[in-house]
Amino acid sequence: MIALWQIVRKNKRGRNNYMNIDKELQKLLNRVEKPARYIGGEVNSVSKAPDSVSIRFGFAFPDTYEIGMSYMGMQILYNILNKNADIYCERIFAPAEDMENLMRKSGRKLFTLETFTPVKDLDMLGFTLQYELSYTNILNILELSGIPARRTERGEEYPIIIAGGPCAYNPEPLAYFIDAFLIGDGEELLEQVCIMKKDCSSKEEFLKKICKLDGVYVPAFYEPEYNEDGTIKRVSKLYDDAPDRVKRALIQDLDKAEFPVENIVPFIETVHDRSVVETFRGCTRGCRFCQAGMIYRPVRERKKDTIKNLAEKQLANTGHDELSLLSLSTSDYSRFEELAIELMEMCAGQNVSLSLPSLRLDSFSFKVLQEIQEYRKSGLTFAPEAGSQRLRDVINKNITEDNIFGAVEKAIELGWGHIKLYFMAGLPGETYEDLDGIREIAEKIMEINFRIKGKKGGRFRVTISVSNFVPKPHTPFQWAAQDTPDMFIDKHNFLTKRLRIKGVTFNYHETGTSNLEAVFARGDRRVGAVLEAAHRLGCKFDGWTEHFKPELWDKAFEETGIDPAFYSYRERNYDEILPWDIIDSFITKEFLIRENEKAKNAQVTPDCRLGCVGCGINRVAECFKDAEFKEVSDV
Amino acid sequence: MFKYVLTFSKTGIICYTSHLDIMRMFNRVIKRAGIRLSYSQGFNPHPKMGFAQPLSLGYSGLNELMELETEEEYEPEDIKDKLTELMPKGIDILKCEKKNGASKKTLAAQTVAAAYKIYIPISDTIGISGEEIKNSYMNQNHITALKRQKKKKEPVEIDIKPMIRELEIINQDHELIVEAVLDSGSISNLSPELLIKTLQKHLSLDIDRGEIEITREKIYFQ
Repeated sequence: MIALWQIVRKNKRGRNNYMNIDKELQKLLNRVEKPARYIGGEVNSVSKAPDSVSIRFGFAFPDTYEIGMSYMGMQILYNILNKNADIYCERIFAPAEDMENLMRKSGRKLFTLETFTPVKDLDMLGFTLQYELSYTNILNILELSGIPARRTERGEEYPIIIAGGPCAYNPEPLAYFIDAFLIGDGEELLEQVCIMKKDCSSKEEFLKKICKLDGVYVPAFYEPEYNEDGTIKRVSKLYDDAPDRVKRALIQDLDKAEFPVENIVPFIETVHDRSVVETFRGCTRGCRFCQAGMIYRPVRERKKDTIKNLAEKQLANTGHDELSLLSLSTSDYSRFEELAIELMEMCAGQNVSLSLPSLRLDSFSFKVLQEIQEYRKSGLTFAPEAGSQRLRDVINKNITEDNIFGAVEKAIELGWGHIKLYFMAGLPGETYEDLDGIREIAEKIMEINFRIKGKKGGRFRVTISVSNFVPKPHTPFQWAAQDTPDMFIDKHNFLTKRLRIKGVTFNYHETGTSNLEAVFARGDRRVGAVLEAAHRLGCKFDGWTEHFKPELWDKAFEETGIDPAFYSYRERNYDEILPWDIIDSFITKEFLIRENEKAKNAQVTPDCRLGCVGCGINRVAECFKDAEFKEVSDV
Repeated sequence: MFKYVLTFSKTGIICYTSHLDIMRMFNRVIKRAGIRLSYSQGFNPHPKMGFAQPLSLGYSGLNELMELETEEEYEPEDIKDKLTELMPKGIDILKCEKKNGASKKTLAAQTVAAAYKIYIPISDTIGISGEEIKNSYMNQNHITALKRQKKKKEPVEIDIKPMIRELEIINQDHELIVEAVLDSGSISNLSPELLIKTLQKHLSLDIDRGEIEITREKIYFQ
């Protein structure tokens, strides 16, 4: 018979088609669910002759294809690396359980989607660290690739393993496994690091070279020592030329930064499958729990015309029927009204729907929302985060009940039938009175609905979702103790009782994963041993409720003698050396301390567009680059 | 309104995409090509395009058909060239023709049968010729198979023999090649999976489905 699969032929664009797979892989694909997760070949995926490049890079997302392909950062870096003719960037995802089992049984090693090359044969492998609960998947990907997890056990024959993304701001839990961390904006740094690899004959030479770049942390060059109480005594340098602290990489001019216009269009449905343009990076609001609000400072905008231009090209190159904007707070873009109106006009003519996430609900937003008929798809969402004004002041979340109820009233009048509210439990200084405030808000919203719609209230729902507070590094709450599981459970039970209100749905986040997240968010090097043990015991996809195995995690902590309470439920004092102090986010410790102290007195810090709050970022970068404010009074 | 019919093939690893994936992909590629599809009226307008028959995940197709309706008139050759340029590897546009205005029925409604070629690897050789296998299989009074009904949960027994229009079997080195024309479409439909199952049972074979390859060669219309 004709082996259709093995025909290498010139495709229509004159490039060689390298995608031929062997019979063995075919057998695996014939047996798994959604085999299209593993085949690549999507519109705009890049096909290069592997032997025509000097550096073969694997971009690994430690979760399934559907999740990874919804992540814009991968598309940004994939585009940048592949524009360089000397680099071939290919993609790797965590295989789903059925595929993993078949791979283990048949001895098939993990491969890239672009060319089915074994991961082990690449020059460099880069993991993106988006959430702590994906760490076991990193170890699993390495194992499925036939690569030893510990960096000390990897000789020159194995690829260099790097990692970046928000969780790299505390790299220590993965310090045993990763050769180099890339901290901060990756647009320029990643390509630079790849190019430097070309001229290096050994890993050591390469690591010594790149550690001098801003944004590169090489754990092998540092050695922590511990006090008897388990805290860090000092961190010694093992290579003199390595920096004392690693400055994060920072793109000064976002408007000129590369942004993809030929995004890969997945065959299968993914979480988000749409065109996306990042409007700005950074946030001015200064919520004290929010890591993104600190580590992405300062606010740097893309110019309005650049955004429109990128959107237009992306839509033309992908055929997407949805466009969305990416930032930490959509309406904080300095010329948001004009941008929204112009994008609406652009989309209207092309059967494209515009989706605007995390809008601040002022009168303009309602006008826009009505226009784009977003409400047909989903409810109206607010994130007050805390139930009382006092606690909202503690966390510096500048939203008042008047804001919420005013917007709810307007929304109900305009025909919304579903209001969603997000809160956190376990915030520093939280009392049961604050939690009861969540009930009050829910009840008042129901009352507003009755007042407008009459006694029966029509079909109207309020959904209250409560997540558990996880203290994060580089935030004012980085010293805080997290609630214990018992405390969380008591709070959830309390809320369950208090929120038994007709028309109100109450969801809360699982306690076990939140405590685990806290351990790895603020862990030091030693928690790496727990990751290894947990992986050995079979933990993976820990962020997925159906895969999370608390009893195995308990065993992993027990086996390694590491006490999770030390990392999650312990309040640190300001003098303690924190594992992530080695990373300089440019936000000063003095600022974080000041904010934490103000939190204790429920004192707010205004949005920094109203005046500099002294976080320290303006020592190294221009705040509000390319932003064109008309007025800042309506913050 | 202008109607066109595309003939295309789907071969290679792209066969691991589903019918819905391919439909979504075609829609986007048509959009990128600047071809303005007509949209249905109503609350959720959808583009007017459709395939003659869905092709199951994992199958190759050599002469698949899709029809589309556009707002503007295009040269069929232009449509073919534009789509060829943009299609992912594995989808080849073979033909584009203007649809004959006489028939108002969709291609899906006109489909009556399809030709398949099925490759079954066998470890031991079967001592009889393909012709003999075919005769003994088709000489059964009934060829009963379990078919899952759309609404009922319990599968029901059906006789698939009347739905097999033509059958040829070639028995060659470690492989059976089955060429079959089967009922296909809304009136009567036989999945090649049932043919494979009943044939395996008849020959007392137990070949893993993952080893078997299926290609749809052609679709027949009224």
